Amino acid sequence: MNLLQARAVIEALIFAAPEPIGVPQLCELTGLTRHTVQQILADLSEDYQKGHRGLQMIEVAKGYQICTHPYCAPYVEKLQKNPRSTGLSQAAMETLAIIAYKQPITRAEIEVLRGVRVDSALNTLLEKDLIREAGRKDTPGRPILYGTTRAFLKYFGLKELSDLPGIDKWLQEEILRERDSDAGASDSVADDADVADDADEHA
Amino acid sequence: MEADHENNGGRDLRTMSYLVHLDVFEGPFDLLLHLIERDELDIYDIPIARITAEFLEYISTMQLLNLHVASDFMVMAATLIQIKARMLLPKPVVCEEEADSAEEEDPRQELVEKLVEYKKYKELAMDLRAREEEFARVFVRPVGETADRLVIDDNPLKGISVWDLLAAFKNVLDSLAPEEEPAAVPKEEISMRQRMQEITASLAVCGRIKFRDLFGKSNSRTALVTGFMALLELMRLRKVRVSQDVTFGEILITAAAEEGATG
Repeated sequence: MNLLQARAVIEALIFAAPEPIGVPQLCELTGLTRHTVQQILADLSEDYQKGHRGLQMIEVAKGYQICTHPYCAPYVEKLQKNPRSTGLSQAAMETLAIIAYKQPITRAEIEVLRGVRVDSALNTLLEKDLIREAGRKDTPGRPILYGTTRAFLKYFGLKELSDLPGIDKWLQEEILRERDSDAGASDSVADDADVADDADEHA
Repeated sequence: MEADHENNGGRDLRTMSYLVHLDVFEGPFDLLLHLIERDELDIYDIPIARITAEFLEYISTMQLLNLHVASDFMVMAATLIQIKARMLLPKPVVCEEEADSAEEEDPRQELVEKLVEYKKYKELAMDLRAREEEFARVFVRPVGETADRLVIDDNPLKGISVWDLLAAFKNVLDSLAPEEEPAAVPKEEISMRQRMQEITASLAVCGRIKFRDLFGKSNSRTALVTGFMALLELMRLRKVRVSQDVTFGEILITAAAEEGATG
């Protein structure tokens, strides 16, 4: 299999896969090295971008996926049988932002940050499978901890949690804040990246 | 969301802007941030008296409109008033060295920290919102299904000859029970007049007939319709009387001999 053939095979695999397909699986299926696969992926992705195609290749939830280009959306939407459901409410979005950046986090901790009750927002997010219970906090009452899911990454087109918008700035601020307050109990997102990984595999 | 704007003109506009924003506020922090940003105030140096007044005004507007004021807003109002009160208290006299630590004890500090923190997540939520919108315009094939073959090339008839099919079909034919010859049914010609005579004849014998029995023997649609029309005609001519004691009960047909005789 020469490089051109390999490229074609990988493109076909990404297209045919039931969901975003990761580098390890692509290596396994093609017998190519990780390095080669990554090179081909970068090449393919660039090809799609340069070619002004209706399709693009995106990296989402640690996998690659071929999908339509946003600029085609008005036309593709006409094919959809069901109209697009509205996005998340502001309450749900704020709650989700807090969970995404501060996970794992309890309901009470979210409420302190938002200054309002978040029960209904949490229910919405759980229903939409954007968050999940991620164990219990070792404090009195053992409250439920919440974290984001693989579906969350897909919903926002994120590769992984460290791909969250403004994560670098957020981490810096967080480190500074912890140094100031010396509280230290808060976990960093980097640690929690695994949380989403061992989440629902079949999301 | 219309409210009476009978207030003095100066307040009108403000009330209006509240109305516009009412459902946008996600809680007391959100409202406070809005007030601070609208008036371009320094979040780290909030004029607490002014903000408290505006916050309370907002709450009373909500109440004026009979909107349910969430307890969270009440708690915040109380907090603001408490901070305001603490700021009014004369500061204890401190010696020079302690001046620094005294400065840290700004009654607003805790609130400011919370607000700044909330603001951060509100902004992050906006970033997420932008991504949400972007990816709502991206379409993928249905998740969870591996791409289908364009043509199904698994031949379900592999290894089977046309003779096998023929044999199978013969088996099916054989297993069928021999078909019975359909009995020829002569078309029944019943006229309405005939039926009317039948009904009056039976009434003369039995005195009364149940509506149900009237159609008991009839087996064709035409016979049923003719029978019913015959009954209606007899009723019109006042030759029979039809009665029903209870709803959905038995309908009885009796001869109306007397009326019939006179009429």
